[in-house]
Amino acid sequence: MDALVIEDVTKAFGSVQAVNGLSARIPPGSVYGFLGPNGAGKTTTLRMVMNIISPDSGSIQVLGRSSREGVAGRIGYMPEERGLYRKMKVTAVIAYFGKLKGMSRQDLTGAIPRWLEDVDLAEWANKRVEDLSRGMQQKLQFVVTAINDPDLLILDEPFSGLDPVNLELLRGIMLRLRDAGKTVIFSTHMMEQAEKLCDFILLINNGRSIIDGTLDQIRSRYPSNTVAVELAGEADFIAELPMVQGVECSGRKLEISLGEGGDPQDLLRNLVGKVDIRSFEVRTPSLHDMFVDLVRTNDA
Amino acid sequence: MRRIYIVAVREFLEMLKTKAFLLGVFVVPIVMVGALSFTGRLQKKMVSGPQETRTVAVTDHSGELGEEIGRLLEEHNKWNTTKKVLVESIAPPPEGLEGLTKRTKERVKKRELVGYLVVPQDVLGEAGRAQYYSRGDNLAELNVFHTVRNALNNAATNTRCVRRGISPQVIKDVRRKIPVDNNSVTAKPGKKQGGLPVKMMVPFFFMLLMFAGTVGANQHLLTSVIEEKNSRVIEVILSSVSPFQFMAGKILGLSAVSLMTVCIWGLVAYGTAAYHGMGDIVNTANIGFFLIYFVLGFLLFSSIFAAIGSACNTLKEAQSFMMPVMMVLMVPMMGWLYFSQHPMGVWAVALSFIPPVSPMVMILRLAARPDLPPLQIAASIILLAASVPLVMWVSARIFRVGILMYGKPASLRELHRWLRQK
Repeated sequence: MDALVIEDVTKAFGSVQAVNGLSARIPPGSVYGFLGPNGAGKTTTLRMVMNIISPDSGSIQVLGRSSREGVAGRIGYMPEERGLYRKMKVTAVIAYFGKLKGMSRQDLTGAIPRWLEDVDLAEWANKRVEDLSRGMQQKLQFVVTAINDPDLLILDEPFSGLDPVNLELLRGIMLRLRDAGKTVIFSTHMMEQAEKLCDFILLINNGRSIIDGTLDQIRSRYPSNTVAVELAGEADFIAELPMVQGVECSGRKLEISLGEGGDPQDLLRNLVGKVDIRSFEVRTPSLHDMFVDLVRTNDA
Repeated sequence: MRRIYIVAVREFLEMLKTKAFLLGVFVVPIVMVGALSFTGRLQKKMVSGPQETRTVAVTDHSGELGEEIGRLLEEHNKWNTTKKVLVESIAPPPEGLEGLTKRTKERVKKRELVGYLVVPQDVLGEAGRAQYYSRGDNLAELNVFHTVRNALNNAATNTRCVRRGISPQVIKDVRRKIPVDNNSVTAKPGKKQGGLPVKMMVPFFFMLLMFAGTVGANQHLLTSVIEEKNSRVIEVILSSVSPFQFMAGKILGLSAVSLMTVCIWGLVAYGTAAYHGMGDIVNTANIGFFLIYFVLGFLLFSSIFAAIGSACNTLKEAQSFMMPVMMVLMVPMMGWLYFSQHPMGVWAVALSFIPPVSPMVMILRLAARPDLPPLQIAASIILLAASVPLVMWVSARIFRVGILMYGKPASLRELHRWLRQK
């Protein structure tokens, strides 16, 4: 059973079509990334999943149910704009939300120190939320989201505002949760993080899905057409080869772009014996490149 | 139900920690008791302490009344040591009145004199009329005027009698006033009775208690809803609690705080009254009715405040919505004297059946007249109790949509649309 099924969902705010016929299936036990530029409809989609707003049409099934009744306690949601009671103490805030999610006092006394330890906030347990830095509040917000050990975590821009150290920390926790069988859905426009983390990716633009699948599946649709070669010897003939479209030269490094249908292996065969090859690298397009390219072609 | 309870407990505990609550619960009674005993002391001091002298100049052209006025005012001073009026007699000058009047008026203007009484020659005639000059800009002067006017009239009466040959002893006999003891048939024998002013204050105090209890906690409700909305805490909360559960929890928690506050104030006030031997000015049944009306009224108003809070983004925006609500609360405040003096008047009875105003109006009426017709009491409570779930339902529907709406404040038309939204 899929953790989340979104089927042909539409939502408009006045004349703005925020989400337009979006569909997605999110398998359990995976890390699933909602990617897209600002205003693409990521947050609106996640809010509809959380039943904070209701879709104009289409259906959403969370953990196999179409209503959130009965499964609310199995979902953890971290909104894009963080919200905690600023005057409350750290432990009290976690306990309050934990109780609202149905946790018992006993569960909480075990879980709170463990989680605070996990995110390096143990010393701050008795401080007020407003005394914490932005990054710390962010981690606290994550703890609040995950405190009841939900099967499905929905995180809206979880990395914004985190320094590299805390970013690694959060990434580690997310992977740990996935390995424990939880489903983690998050939205981001930080491609590097998505590339490192996601098992599946959904790219949204203008409220529509542009592409989705595993990173490898998506990459295979973008055949690599650039090869970086480091070599010694006379290299002028390379530009004349039939599969080559252009060559950019920087010192001993050549950046060779292949024409349509050009095979890197074919190029390699043509080079062997004619020049002294030091390195030969087929460039896979980065998610960032694909993202920018896809959004541009989609907008055009 | 469990979630409502969890929200209510947090609301309750957080409210207890606010400065407003601590100020309200502890400082208000201290100020109340302090003010009462201070005014008591002040009054005592006024009786025994040094007096401010108030001098009135008198020019008597008739030559008959001046002396008697002076004597009567002296007598007045003996009995009213706090309101002494001294007389400065100015003989009419031979050169004419005009200069004198002008000079004396100047002295009144400079506050050397409080007033100047000019008694004309034919004052005892049928068209007799005296002139009095004062700055006329404060209450104390008005008192002096009344004293002087009485002295003049009494002097005139006495003089007229003497002219007709009636002896002063007869006049005294005729004018002697008869004291009347005012007894209550409902008060318990042997107990000290509160005077009329105290009895008038009981309905007022009950109403004030209700007003302060309702407005105080609801102000907090309004700000906390707006804060939760702005800080987006609400989104995290709504991922595990329904809007209705959340609103109900908040209202429940705050009504508990409010009830507690009002009980503390009431106990302090009752204790103070009992200490002064006036424990029986409050009827036990009234306390019960007060609690019923207070709780129902609180639920009604807090639902409205919660809806207003959810529809606005800032306190400033909320003010415009608050205006009509506060007006409704002010109606009984403004009419308290009328309602407590005429508890069976048409207006008082009619307003007892209109839910938002009925709690305060009914408590005024009950405090003024404990034996209101039971049917009226029952009808008013039933109507109020029936309106509570209705208003809560409407508020919950507005709350549900409003709490997640950012941007500009909702217009009435939008509120109406939210109501009908599925």
